[in-house]
Formats: sequence, structure tokens, C-alpha cells
Amino acid sequence: MTKSINITLNVWRQKSAGVKGGFETYHAANISTDMSFLEMIDVVNEQLTLDGRDPIAFDHDCREGICGMCGAVVNGRAHGPEEGTTLCQLHMRYFSNGDTIVIEPWRAKAFPILKDLAVDRSAFDEIIVAGGYISVNTGGAPDANAIPISQEIAEKAMDAAACIGCGACVASCPNASAMLFAGAKISQLALLPQGRPEAAQRALAMVRKMDELCFGNCSNERECEAECPKEISISNIARMNREFFKAGIGSAVM
Amino acid sequence: MLDAKIPSGPLSEKWDKHRFELKLVNPANKRKYNIIVVGTGLAGGSAAASLAELGYYVKNFCIQDSPRRAHSIADQGGINAAKNYQNDGDSIWRLFYDTIKGGDFRAREANVYRLAQVSNHIIDHCVAQGIPFAREYGGLLANRSFGGAQVSRTFYARGQTGQQLLLGAYSSLMRQVGAGQVTLFPRREMLDLVVINGQVRGVVVRNLVTGDIESHAADAVVMCTGGYGNVFYLSTNAMASNVSATYRAYKKGAFFANPCYTQIHPTCIPVHGTYQSKLTLMSESLRNDGRVWVPKATGDKRPPNQIPESERNYYLERKYPSFGNLVPRDVASRNAKAQCDMGKGVGETGFAVYLDFKDAIRRDGKDVIAQKYGNLFQMYEKITASNPYEDPMMIYPAIHYVMGGLWVDYNLMSTLPGLFVLGEANFSDHGANRLGASALMQGLADGYFVIPYTIGGYLAQMDHTEVTTDHSAFKEATQYVNEQTGKLLSINGKRTVDDFHRELGNILWEYCGMSRNDDGLLKARKLIQELREEFWKNALVPGLSEDFNQSLERAGRVADFLEFAELLVMDAFERKESCGGHFNEAHQTEEQEAMRDDENFCHVAAWEYKGDDTEPGRHKEPLVFENVELTQRSYK
Amino acid sequence: MNWFTNTLWTSVGKKLLMAVTGLFFCVFLALHLVGNLTIYAGKDAFNSYAEHLHSLGPLLTAAEWGMLLFALIHICTGLLLFYQNFTARPERYAVNKRAGGRTLGSATMPYTGVILLLFVIYHLFNFHFVDKTHTTIFQIVSTAFSKPSYVVIYTFAMIVAAVHVSHGFWSAFQTLGANHPKYTPFLKGLSLVFSLIVGIGFGFIPIYVSLLV
Repeated sequence: MTKSINITLNVWRQKSAGVKGGFETYHAANISTDMSFLEMIDVVNEQLTLDGRDPIAFDHDCREGICGMCGAVVNGRAHGPEEGTTLCQLHMRYFSNGDTIVIEPWRAKAFPILKDLAVDRSAFDEIIVAGGYISVNTGGAPDANAIPISQEIAEKAMDAAACIGCGACVASCPNASAMLFAGAKISQLALLPQGRPEAAQRALAMVRKMDELCFGNCSNERECEAECPKEISISNIARMNREFFKAGIGSAVM
Repeated sequence: MLDAKIPSGPLSEKWDKHRFELKLVNPANKRKYNIIVVGTGLAGGSAAASLAELGYYVKNFCIQDSPRRAHSIADQGGINAAKNYQNDGDSIWRLFYDTIKGGDFRAREANVYRLAQVSNHIIDHCVAQGIPFAREYGGLLANRSFGGAQVSRTFYARGQTGQQLLLGAYSSLMRQVGAGQVTLFPRREMLDLVVINGQVRGVVVRNLVTGDIESHAADAVVMCTGGYGNVFYLSTNAMASNVSATYRAYKKGAFFANPCYTQIHPTCIPVHGTYQSKLTLMSESLRNDGRVWVPKATGDKRPPNQIPESERNYYLERKYPSFGNLVPRDVASRNAKAQCDMGKGVGETGFAVYLDFKDAIRRDGKDVIAQKYGNLFQMYEKITASNPYEDPMMIYPAIHYVMGGLWVDYNLMSTLPGLFVLGEANFSDHGANRLGASALMQGLADGYFVIPYTIGGYLAQMDHTEVTTDHSAFKEATQYVNEQTGKLLSINGKRTVDDFHRELGNILWEYCGMSRNDDGLLKARKLIQELREEFWKNALVPGLSEDFNQSLERAGRVADFLEFAELLVMDAFERKESCGGHFNEAHQTEEQEAMRDDENFCHVAAWEYKGDDTEPGRHKEPLVFENVELTQRSYK
Repeated sequence: MNWFTNTLWTSVGKKLLMAVTGLFFCVFLALHLVGNLTIYAGKDAFNSYAEHLHSLGPLLTAAEWGMLLFALIHICTGLLLFYQNFTARPERYAVNKRAGGRTLGSATMPYTGVILLLFVIYHLFNFHFVDKTHTTIFQIVSTAFSKPSYVVIYTFAMIVAAVHVSHGFWSAFQTLGANHPKYTPFLKGLSLVFSLIVGIGFGFIPIYVSLLV
């Protein structure tokens, strides 16, 4: 049932990277419960603009839960209270009239704040640069059906590959660790026969890069798995660990 | 007369012959060339990666914070290839023919044939990249049939094929970043193109974090900036999708082809409020098992489960017995609109039709349906709070893709030497209507398998006078961009940019949407002109230019949409026929099907910018069909 | 040794160190508990267990030094991880809410760890570094637990140990890469059972002994 609700927002406002930020309070009236969370912010921003105030900066793009651009910590939960959902797919029907909603950006040393709720996640790209690929040049591939891959393996790889790189795992991890992100990519490529030739190199390089970027360490708290909008399992972290030990101790790769 | 530079010879040998005839760049010389690639979607990402692999030095720009976010990621359904793994009669020729026919005979034969040819290599390459395509129990790749095709040629990775293919291209791209062959410039928006001595030699971009205007010089520019569907405000495109890059290239002399060819996707979640910021597509694959219907009686407001079978109108199955629910997108969309216009529409607004899985669930069991569409059903339920396993989905058409784009020749080069245009940003392969699962195919074909060859042919013969960003053309472009942003920030009016955008969208959807007529188009043109005038007097763009200013970003895009929309409407007005996504009410068969005018309109319309106050010029590229016979599309 | 430090001195490597040493201490706890349980068989059984243990001589010394090394690795790595994890988020959230992954054990690992460290030192000074020439281990134990403060401290410490182990046990397997849809639920269950055994098994001894006297 569509309803209209009135809510209060406590939003983190910060002019730019490195400066001090703080919370500001806004009232949002007549918010339809069919709105998405971001549409609600749009409405608040339209009003702020008309009032001659600076609208809230926030990252967003596809608004269908797949690009991974959006994200904020809503009442202490990355992407808000609903499980398996990005912020853009969170709807206002999860809130009640009179609620106060606290909105904070992802917080991690590796994700510096750019403005308000927008953060710089280029550290994720750097982890991929370190080895999140299969070294295959365009043109040289054999026939796609040359190597059969069992459905079970393909499905597991797909489970890991579903990562949208939104950063919720880092944001929700009590240690701001990126192991679910790195683990998902290492797992996807380690599971597939095409990724095996570089598996050792990849695991070592990606883990080392992750450390270099000042992400925290995993302490198996499983918050990442609980908050991941694509519900990626920490079994991928375990697989990454295996790959890493195999590579670090068992392989000849330095 | 536009020369598409189509190679001579039999259709199936053109590409091979052309590849042989193209000049090669000496491997040692490749590293001396700088290439700018704008965009990191399937076309941009794959082009940047492949060019870097060849040894060119590439600068790659994207509007989002990471190349992995380009909107190609949102494709759900799949990618076509003529592998014929299913032994069901597919071939390169059939994929070619289906695409030409699906495009309502408004695409170039040679381009489409090449597309079908390289489609197989794409799948090979993607599997080698580690893309977890769906597989059969035996471990071989699975296929499904997809909107409008009678063979199973679509490869897919659950409902996230676009995401997986994009991440594949992204991973190849990042590998080249690591190798130092590609320099990445995220959070940059291209605001102008720089042409020096008749050759495109660079771009001017705005750093969206700092607001700095930056100049970048190169030997060629490859634009892969996607489609302009957001001119309609509500579309399935991402929020940042825009026309600015291509439109500014148009203003610098690149011809814009067929802007009126816009695709309306039949299976989107219906609009439910004025605050709505975008529409969400439900994959077309749903039509494989879902049955489309409306109540037979006008204004029947009973819940769907209480409407007995005999009082339901499965209008697609009835009208098109052989294709049924799988008719092409334009046909499915127009029929949904027709039903709603007759007052048969369902839901609160009356602008929706049912897509029912009851029979499929009864036939195959809930588990099978959940396995096929689980994530789509989940997404639908999240947005609408209604459970599609229990109640039929409600769907309505929405703008989804645009076939129009910058005109390119067979080499994918625009009318500006040195400017190549790939993917949705160009106009080349889909004619007047794109078939399902062909967008991914085209983006990757252009980027992986066409541009690496054709750009060499250009570079090998271009004028290599060295150009730096100190050149006056860069200064002028920077000045123009600064003036433009300055103007936007100084209007200081009373209406927000989104408000203008929403109104523009309403005008286009009303008069230049699923069906068009001359009066409406003329009216739309006038309304757009008035709205544009008001925009420059009354828009409110807050903030500074030297800042992370999302309002300013949007304002610039909407300003371009307001100009471009007029071109779109003019193109629709001039095309006095119905074809594919362009349906002119004056040109329809007795059964309300689109009626082409092959005698007068079997051509590409390419528009030339001639100044802000001068009417643009309409150029024709005649379409010559040597291998297929033009027929009335029939899906009965 | 470059590859060696390059492997162990990473985030995953440090986890490995924590897991291996942690599991070692789990084994130690189990053995220690088995030994301690002899107390229920009476004074003589308990004393003879201690004597047997001490008769191992150099083997015992080696084990003690080994344990010290493992303890140092576990403690130092743990503290380093704690510090790194803390600095990985310089600005904390104003609102924190669990999503369902965190448990009491997982959230308190560093704190329960430090408490256990203090307890172990205390414990060693109570029962290990004492002059045992004119007394038996049973006497030392029963004297100690005749004081209610000892009982309270020991019982509390054992609850803390149980909490620490409840996360540590399965977490070590996860870190070592042992995550399997078939066996992980079992390991998680075992983790809980083991922590209960540790908590109750050790925790009840001070109470039992204090009731004896």
C-alpha cells in the first residue's frame, strides 16, 4: 500500500576531502513509500536547491542495483536495513512516519570522502589492476566450448563474479577490510580453468596490493557477507586464503 | 552523398578483403600513437584494452568513479552469437538476416554481416577472459532463445550478462592499466572535441571532482559514450547517460544519423509517481515463459487472479500466432500501448499490462522458473512489493536504447577524420530497431574486433604533424567550455534543472514516443524551443564550477538534451514512413503495423550542424540491399 | 627468506599465524582440561597426573618454550592486527548496527584476548611459578580456591575464554581455508560445543574445589 510519510534526515555533510564534516538535519515531508531511497534524496535535494542551499552530493548511476555506484550507511547499516539490496533499490516502505534516518558515507581510510556521501573507491580498481584478470589478448582465444566446465563450478564462479564493487563489504566490516571484494575476484578466476595458469601470481599480487592500500584485516566477523547486496559468501575469502597459502608456500612464484 | 566506404565483393568476403587492404601500423610505431577512448562500457572498455594490447598508448576517460560502472553493466538478458551450438539451424547468415529484418531493413548489409561474423569470436574471447556463462550439466555452454529469434543463440550469465561481459572488458582494461599502456581518467566528462587541420586531435574534459577543465591531445579519438535515451527523462538508462559528448561532436562537424530511431522496451516496470527518477527494465527473456494479457472488458478493475481465463485477452498470442509473446520489441510495445489506449490497461494508472507466469509455473514447476528468472522476480518484488510467483507482473514499455547515433562509415569513423564512434553512440548496425541480445554483441564487436583493425588504416595515412595542448584550438575549446559553465551558473532562475528535464521528457514521450504524427511533431518542436528558451532564463544551477558540483553536471547535460531533442523531432518529422522504433501514424497497414516507404526512405538520414540559428542539413546515405529482399516484417 | 616474510607478513599471512597458533592453543586447552578433570577422581589422581607431567622433563620444557613462542606470536600478531584494523577506519560511524554476522565472540576478540593474557600471567604466578618442593599441586589448588576472590576470577576468566574460543575455533578453520558447504555448519556447531566444554569444564573446577574445602 502506498502511503505518505514524514521523516527527519541526519546527513553527513563535508565540503571536500580532508576537511572537517558534520551532520545536518533535514525534514522530508510527504515522502511516498513507493519511492526509492535515492528518489527521496532527490526530493530533498530539489528543495535544498530551491532554498538556495547546497544539495547533498551522493554517487549513483544505474539505480537498478547493478552498477555499484551508490551506497551509504543508513542507520548504521551499509545500503540500509534490507538484506541483499543496494541503496538505490531500498524503498521508503521500509521506514515509518516520524523516523529519523542517519545517513553517513562509507568510512574507511582506503575510501577517502570526496564530498558529503561520495567517496573515492579507486582503491578497488587498484586491487584489480594488481591481478584481477586473465591475461588473454583479443584474438587468440580457442573455441568457447573447447574446455567444458561443470555447471557446479560455473555457478560458483558466477556467485563470486556477481560482485558489483560497491564497497559495502569494506564499509560494514568492523575492520574496514576488503577481503570479500578481493576474495570474490580471486575465487571467480581461481575456480575457472582459464584462470588457473595465473592463480598463484594473482592471489599474491592482489592480497599484497590490498594491504598496501591500508584496508584492514579480516577477522571473520561476517558482517560483509551479511551486508553484501549481492550476498557473496565468505567461502570466497576462505578460497582466497587457500589460494594465497598455496601460492605463497607451495608455488615457485615469489 | 555520404560514402560509407563499404568494400566491394561478395558479402561474406568483404571484411576479410578489407582487413587485408587496410594499411598496417608497424608494431614499433604503434607505441608512438596516442589514442583517446572516451567511455568504458562494452565498446569503450574493449576498444581501450584491445588497442593497448596492440601497443598503442591509450588515454581512457569515464564519467563514473570506475570504468566498471558503465551502463552496459545493466544488461540482463544475454549476447547473441551464431555459434549454432544447439544445432537448431543457426548460422552467420541467419543472424545477419534476423538482424537486418529485425532492424526493419534500415541498416547496412555489410556492417551487419560483419557483426554476425565476429559474434562467434566474442564468445570465445569472453570465455577465455573468465566470464562465467551459464552451462549445461555436461559442461558446455547453455543458450536460450531471446526476443524475436526462433533459434537459441543467446549466451547468458544468469540475469547479469551485461555485468559479466563488462567486467570482462574491464579486467582486460585494468591489465593494460597495470602494464602502463592505458592511463585511466575516471570522473571526467567530455565537454568538447578538438579538431585541428580537419583532423580530430583531442578532447576537453571536466574533472568532476575538482571542476578543472583539462585538455588532452591524441592522434585519434574513439568515442564510446552510449546512447541518448535520457532525453526522454524517464528511461532505463543510468542517471549519467547523456548526449553531450556525441552532441558536441555533432556541433564540431560529425553528422548525427537517424536520431528518431529510439527503442521502446516492452517489459519495464510501469511508472508510479512524478518523483520517479528512472524506469527499471525487466529482461525480455521473461517473455519466453510469461504470457502477456489484459482483461477483455474495458475498465475491469478486478485483481488479476479473479479474472477468469475466458475474460482475458492474450493479445500477442492471438494476433501473432507464430511468434506470440516473442514478437520484436517495437511490435510488443506498440501493442501494449494500443491496449492501454483502448482503456484495457491495468494497475493504478491504467498504463500497464500483465505478464503472467502462472502457466509456466504450472508446467515447469516453481523451481525451474525460479532458476531461470529468480533474480528478476526478486528485483520486481523489491521495487513493487508484489510477488510475481503469486500475482502476474505488471509491465509497460519504456525508452531503453537508441539506434540512432553519430554517423560512421564501415571503418566506424565519423564524418570527422580521426573521430571513431563505437557501440550505442554510433548508428550503424541495428537499423530502425534492435533485436534483443544484440547490443552487447555490437559493443564488443566494435571494440574487440573492428576498431583494432580500422584505426590502423587511418593512423597509417593521417597527417602526423605533432599537436600539443598548447595549440590554440585547445585554448578555444577550453574557453568555450568555461563560458558555457559560467553561463549556466549565472542564470540563477527559479526552476531546477531536473524540472526542465522532466518537462522535456514529457513532451518527447507524448509527441515523439511510441507513435508519432506530423502535427504532434510540429507541436513538440515548438514546445522544445520554448522550453529551451525558458531554461536559459529561468534555470537554477547552484554551486561553483571549481567544485564537485552534480547540479552543474546535470545542467550541462540537460542544456544539450534541450538542443538535441529538437533534432530528434525534426528527424522524426522528415521520415515520412514507419519503420522499427519510428512509428508514424500516417504510415501503417490496415492491421496497424508499421509501413515502410522503401522507395523514398530506404536511406540513412545524417544531420549536419550548420550553426545555432541555421537549420541543420539532412544528408542521405542510400541503403543498398544486394543480398536480402526487402519484405514487410511479419511475425504472424 | 624474502618469500617467507612476504607471505606471512601480509594480512592473510598474519591471519594464518593467528589461526595456527590459535588452534594450537585449542588443542592445548583440550589436553589441559583432560588433565584437570583428574581432579574429580580425587587428590591422588590429580597429583599423580602432575607428577607424570613433570616426569617428562626436557620434553615438557621444550613444550613450555614452544608454547611461549606461540603465545608471543599470537599476542603480538593479534595486537598488531588490532592496531591496523583500528587505523583502517580513522573516523568511526556515528551509528553502528550489526547486520547479523557479528557475534559476542567475534566482536570482543581483542578484548577477551587481552583479558586472557592477563589471566594467564596471573594463573602462571598462582600455580606455575610457585615453590612446589614442600607441597603438592592439589594443595596449592585447594588453598587458592578456598579464597572466594580466586574462584570468582577463575570462573570469570573461563567464561571469557569460552567467548574467545567460540569465535576463534571456527574462525581458525575459515582462515585456513576450510570452508565447505557440507562441513562448515558442523565446524560452527563444534565451535560452540567446544567453547561450552571449555567454559563449563574449566569453569566448574574452581567451584568444585572450593566446595571440597
